[in-house]
Amino acid sequence: MNGFLIVNGLSGLLIVSSLLVTLAGNPANSARFYALQSFILVMLFVALAGATGSGELYLWSFTALLTKVILVPAIMYRAFRRLSDPAIGTGAVMPTALSIVGAAVALILCFVVASKVTLPAADAIKPALAVSLALFFIGLACIVAQRNILKQVFGYCLMENGSHLTLALLAPNAPELVEIGIATDAIFAVVVMAALGSRIFDTLHTLDARQLTSLKG
Amino acid sequence: MTAMVPSILPPLLLIGPLAVALFLLTLPWFRESLPEAFATDKGSVTLLERIHLGSVGYVFLLSIAALIQVLSSGAIAAFGDWLFVDALGAVFMMLIGVVGLMTGLYSIAYIRHDLESGAIDAGKVRIYYGFFSLFLFTMLLAVTANNIIMMWAAIEATTLGSAFLVGLYGQKSSLEAAWKYVIICTVGVAFGLYGTVLVFSNAADVLADPHQAVLWTALVGHAAELDPMLVKLAFVFALIGFGTKAGIFPMHAWLPDAHSEAPSPVSGLLSGVLLKCALLIVVRFYVITVGTVGTGFPQMLLLTLGVLSVGVSSLLFFVQQDLKRKLAYSSIENVGLIVVALGVGGPLGIAAALLHAINHSVTKALFFCSAGNVLMKYGTRDLRAVKGILRVAPATGLLMMGCALALAGFPPFNIFVSEFMVFMAGLNEGYGWIMALCALFLCITIAGLVRIVADSVLGKSPETMAKGDVGWKALAPLGVLAVLVLTLGFAVPQPLSTLVQQATTVVMNGDSRPVVAAPWQQYDTVRAGGQLVTGSLSQTEISK
Repeated sequence: MNGFLIVNGLSGLLIVSSLLVTLAGNPANSARFYALQSFILVMLFVALAGATGSGELYLWSFTALLTKVILVPAIMYRAFRRLSDPAIGTGAVMPTALSIVGAAVALILCFVVASKVTLPAADAIKPALAVSLALFFIGLACIVAQRNILKQVFGYCLMENGSHLTLALLAPNAPELVEIGIATDAIFAVVVMAALGSRIFDTLHTLDARQLTSLKG
Repeated sequence: MTAMVPSILPPLLLIGPLAVALFLLTLPWFRESLPEAFATDKGSVTLLERIHLGSVGYVFLLSIAALIQVLSSGAIAAFGDWLFVDALGAVFMMLIGVVGLMTGLYSIAYIRHDLESGAIDAGKVRIYYGFFSLFLFTMLLAVTANNIIMMWAAIEATTLGSAFLVGLYGQKSSLEAAWKYVIICTVGVAFGLYGTVLVFSNAADVLADPHQAVLWTALVGHAAELDPMLVKLAFVFALIGFGTKAGIFPMHAWLPDAHSEAPSPVSGLLSGVLLKCALLIVVRFYVITVGTVGTGFPQMLLLTLGVLSVGVSSLLFFVQQDLKRKLAYSSIENVGLIVVALGVGGPLGIAAALLHAINHSVTKALFFCSAGNVLMKYGTRDLRAVKGILRVAPATGLLMMGCALALAGFPPFNIFVSEFMVFMAGLNEGYGWIMALCALFLCITIAGLVRIVADSVLGKSPETMAKGDVGWKALAPLGVLAVLVLTLGFAVPQPLSTLVQQATTVVMNGDSRPVVAAPWQQYDTVRAGGQLVTGSLSQTEISK
């Protein structure tokens, strides 16, 4: 049972780290915090593997370490470091305090939804399940309430981490190939977004989503 | 579910365009070793065109071959059932093959024009043809995937594969469109991933073998054992996720931008095929959901979003002055109508949805490519400046007029046949007022289309405009599409109606053979003793 306690405890740290990613001052710092969050996720996978005795999860932890902790943050850090648009500041649309309150409300709502799931596999890990769903919505909020297009990319990454955690919690014995499929796709998504973001900056000299409004109607 | 026949065709179908895409996108590394004739810009463009034609021709032939095999021997599968083509998937595979070939042929003239006008350089031509094949590959992967995670990955890959096509021109507006496209669709499809993960995790708990839980065919077989709450949640997520990609309101915001900024052949492909591929995935989730919680919940959601899509887009269609944006809103409307037909349900509703998907695909590809001709000739998409197409470019004018009438749902064009089926299905299932509402919205669209014909096609052409149509290379593929639009409007060919019936059987998860025919064909069907499930013009139905 202790294993599941660690899982639920670590999931709390995921919420904190997701707020750090969202509220970081610039995209390069967000990349650092994202690597931190992914590392917590990997720890969580290892704890879950220990608690459920799933061999596949150990493999997952390893691939997640390679892709989410090292590869994706490195790609983003390298691509985003040289791009900066001082005009938009942090790019946040909402005050920090409101963002934190919003995250808390999302978490409570997700607890309500998770409590209604009747799957036997979900019994011991309902708090973590609620966190995984909340992580998904915090990611969404990061995209909607962010003017900096590069930080919107992190929103997608948070959403993807949320889905990934749900998958690990509910189906710890999922074939490794499933997990590799998701991870690979996410890498390509980040590469394409980073490439497009860089081209936008090179052509338009801005990272502000509010400047991208020539198409209307 | 009957056993699937092993076949080499699905992997063969996929490997061709993938190989071409990888080759073209890595070509600069090989350029030094090419024969001298291909080393110049002009020579390299010729080489690129030949490879591209090989790719679209290959996809067309293989998809037709696979279609014939599915019609004759039932669903085919490969790689431990990870890849499969059932009658439902075959409908969409056929669209990729046919519309891919026609827009691919049209691309030759269009891209040459862009190259000559300086809108793109030779390097961009390579990017275009490379990503064109990659785009075809990702869509083929989406429709041949039996593994639901692969389905999701393929739909996500369609965005990544086509984003550079949308942003090809590298201007402010096209980059903006590409960014919105990538962000909105990737986020949308992340919802799709969550839905997929929920269904999979649920099934992995229920099924003895977790490797089976990932297969759509296995999920449909065990749908009744899944957790209703989770499946409902998963359907909502999948509908939002893949619905974003299909252009369903209110997740459609990317669509008018991407469709209008992409090169016209790509607009045709996006609207004609991509939206339908995403709809296929929605349908696949619909089948699972119906198996678990029945038809009530999913149909209510589909009807609501469908009617909203039709309503909102018809108004935006009417007021829009940019030709390609106008067509994009029309695509949202037609996707909405397909979703309404799915929501109406019953064998006839499902069959109507599938037939309308086919008809709209062909017609809209033709319309976007005709709009491409207008763009080549006038250099603008602004309908206030595009006047008198018929005088300036008679063949293009005729095509535009035909497209507008077809899209308005007039006989003898194909859209009439499928729209008629949608309305019949709606009335049969007792959704009279919803159909009346849709009819009202369609009238607004007709008004907008009549304006295109009256002002832009027939109006007075600018005096400075040189007369003369675009070249035959740009017109020939459109001629073929126009023949298809008319042929399907006169009668639904027997192989196609069989295919739609078989696909309906897949969606209904049980044998059902609705009449798939033009209204005037149905009297023959009755006389020949065809099996009528619902929606025929038999005496009893009329008296109802």
